[in-house]
Amino acid sequence: MSLPAVIFNEVSKFYGEVLGVNRVTLNIPPGITSLVGPNGSGKTTLMNLMTGLLHPDHGDILMRGISPRDPEALMRITGYATQYDTAPRWATGFTFITTGLLLFGYGRAEAEEKAWKALERLSLTDAAHRKVAAYSKGMRQRVRLAQAIAHDPALLVLDEPLNGLDPLVRAETIALFRTWANDGKHVIISSHVLQEVDLISDQVVLIANGMIIAEGTIRTVREEIQEHPSQYLVRCRDASGVASRLFSEDHVTEVRLNDDRLGLLVMTRDREQFARALSTIALDGHRIDGVVPADENVDALYEYLIGDE
Amino acid sequence: MPVNKPFAGRARALDFARARQAWTIARIELRRTFFARRGLWVYALALLPAVIFFGHAVDRKLDIQRLSRRGLTDPILMNGVQNGDTLEAVRARLGAPAQEFSGTQVRRVRKHGADNGTTAHVIEPAVEARFVRLNITRPSYDGDPVARIYEFEIYGPDGRENLAVGRPATGSPPCSPDRGPEKAVNGSVDAGKSDSWCADERPLFLQVDLGTARPVKRFVVKHASAGGEKEDLDTRDFNIQVSTDGKNFTTVAASAGAGFVDQRTEWRQLRYFDGRRIASLEFLDGKLNSRHVGLVVNFEEDRTIFAGIFQYFYLRLAIFFGCLGMFMYLFSGEMSNRTLHYWFLAPAPREVVLAGKFAAGLIASTAIFGVGALLAFTAMIWPHDAVEVQAYWNAGGMAHAFWYATAAVLGCVGYGSVFVAVGLYVRNPIIPAALLLAWEGASGVLPQALQRISILYYLQSLCPVPAPMDDHAPALIRLLAAPAAPASRPAAILGLLLVSALVLWIASRAVRRMEISYGAET
Repeated sequence: MSLPAVIFNEVSKFYGEVLGVNRVTLNIPPGITSLVGPNGSGKTTLMNLMTGLLHPDHGDILMRGISPRDPEALMRITGYATQYDTAPRWATGFTFITTGLLLFGYGRAEAEEKAWKALERLSLTDAAHRKVAAYSKGMRQRVRLAQAIAHDPALLVLDEPLNGLDPLVRAETIALFRTWANDGKHVIISSHVLQEVDLISDQVVLIANGMIIAEGTIRTVREEIQEHPSQYLVRCRDASGVASRLFSEDHVTEVRLNDDRLGLLVMTRDREQFARALSTIALDGHRIDGVVPADENVDALYEYLIGDE
Repeated sequence: MPVNKPFAGRARALDFARARQAWTIARIELRRTFFARRGLWVYALALLPAVIFFGHAVDRKLDIQRLSRRGLTDPILMNGVQNGDTLEAVRARLGAPAQEFSGTQVRRVRKHGADNGTTAHVIEPAVEARFVRLNITRPSYDGDPVARIYEFEIYGPDGRENLAVGRPATGSPPCSPDRGPEKAVNGSVDAGKSDSWCADERPLFLQVDLGTARPVKRFVVKHASAGGEKEDLDTRDFNIQVSTDGKNFTTVAASAGAGFVDQRTEWRQLRYFDGRRIASLEFLDGKLNSRHVGLVVNFEEDRTIFAGIFQYFYLRLAIFFGCLGMFMYLFSGEMSNRTLHYWFLAPAPREVVLAGKFAAGLIASTAIFGVGALLAFTAMIWPHDAVEVQAYWNAGGMAHAFWYATAAVLGCVGYGSVFVAVGLYVRNPIIPAALLLAWEGASGVLPQALQRISILYYLQSLCPVPAPMDDHAPALIRLLAAPAAPASRPAAILGLLLVSALVLWIASRAVRRMEISYGAET
């Protein structure tokens, strides 16, 4: 039997004309999964799609077998700590969490007990009876976390959960994530810095401009980045001839002909071998007008993500 | 069927769980709907009619207290007063009045003389004159600028012959061609307006040429009233000049501002009170001139006013805008506060969230507006005579109160459902509110089929008393204000609930599709 997974199948979401996420396909097993990408890359959009706060324009989503269109079933097993730094005016930390639990159908006593337990886990008991609006930013971050975990969900979606936490609480929180992951739960967190999460994640999903650019364990993602295929645009006369020659090379993974038949897009895993192959082809009499790298932006992004490595 | 039983049981349990969730949401939302600081004006709207009727009642009560201070008057005695009764007789019969006002009226009136509209001017001794001129400086008593002279007569020392008759006459341009200067010297005044000279172009004058210089001693001027017109049109200020050469004139007679006296009237009003009615008796110079008997508080009138305020203000404006404020804010308010996602992340279908919020709005609005309507109704009844109220109560008054409250509550249901739905589609309430107000306002002129999708149509059908309509109101307003063909009550309730259900169904579709968008997202 396969493990319950979070599955995205060709999911796209547009904000009017603007693209939110584009043709995202994911299969996330239980454990700690980090969505990593720069600000504005679509992490929050993905998380809102997972929890039904947004609906996809195309594609399907299944969260451990449940559609986000069914909040009654999904939210019973899901906790989502958003980045929206708000709480109702009337709420204290304690009433805020208790009220949420009442909606799960717990009796008041049980709800209060669970709320208290969640507050304890995030070291918020001292502030439990103060208004959330009067909390510091870090405390509000924690109370949202506490609210997300209070009903002991199997699927945790946490948007930048480590933001604003002091080192001690941060270590405790990470330890909590690990415990849940070991219990077979999904812990999906987002971050815009890879180093922040690479040590604690079982899986990493790299996202930029609304597209998934790498997915897997942190080791495979790192390898993928290092030997990620480079794209080149080649301008030449006999495009189909050049294409067939290039395609027989091992390092070339994909060749696409331009419509005008005067150019082609080549993906290669090895830049040096590609350069050598191209000069051989040119010597054999094919006229090559120019070679331009087609994905400088992606290169820059990888550099940004893996940073000083 | 036994096979379906377990499933039915589970469905029931699920329904129950959902109802509990909705109720939990409603309880939390009640705090916001009742006490939102931005919603306090709803209370002002809801309580305004009650405050108006309460103020009216207090005013009436104080009036009654003031009138009763000197004891009540026997109603039979009060009815027996006749016009022409003397002040003393009335005082003797009815005793001291509850209130008494008196004063003196002074009116300036024209002195009445025997020679109405005719003035005579004698000069001593007689003078030689060929040209005689009548100069008019103020042509009337009431300010009318037109001079009217029916006859200008000139007599010599013997006084027998009117020297002016038939002589050539000139003067200011006449006001109409058939009323030239010659009409003032034609020897007659009896043939109506065309038998007079009239002019309105200053200087106003009339001049007669006697042919040769002759001695003249007496002048007679016949003014407007001599010819049958109003006294006020008689000439007020004028003088008479004579000349032998037509160039150098000498003033020989003048008349100024005569003919007014002050007419003084002793005026006194006695007011008697028999506990319900006030008799206002007005005496002029000690005689009863007019009497007016009226109720201090007129129950029927007050009920009509209540019906008007309820339909024109309460249903159309107070509940409309109150529900707009309370229900549109249910979702859009939390969208702008960025707290809506907490509800959407609850393990409840979106419809349950909608139901909970709608229930909270409904509880708050029906409580506020139902209580407001009943308070206003109570305040309206309060100053009235207990016996009268009891009679009214027995003759359907209780049903009236019930239907007013029902209309208020169903108004909240109808407008509430509309505005919760509108709030899901648009954030700015101004344009949809204006459109809806226009639609609801125009419901009276719409075809029957369209009327049935306006809330007001049903609410008006529920009101127990038709709203008063001034017969002099413009036709368009009458048309807009009146429901064309009211539905029967059960049909109205059913229709309104159906419309609300339809609107809520649309709202539930919208809330299921709704997405959290708090602005810039990543």
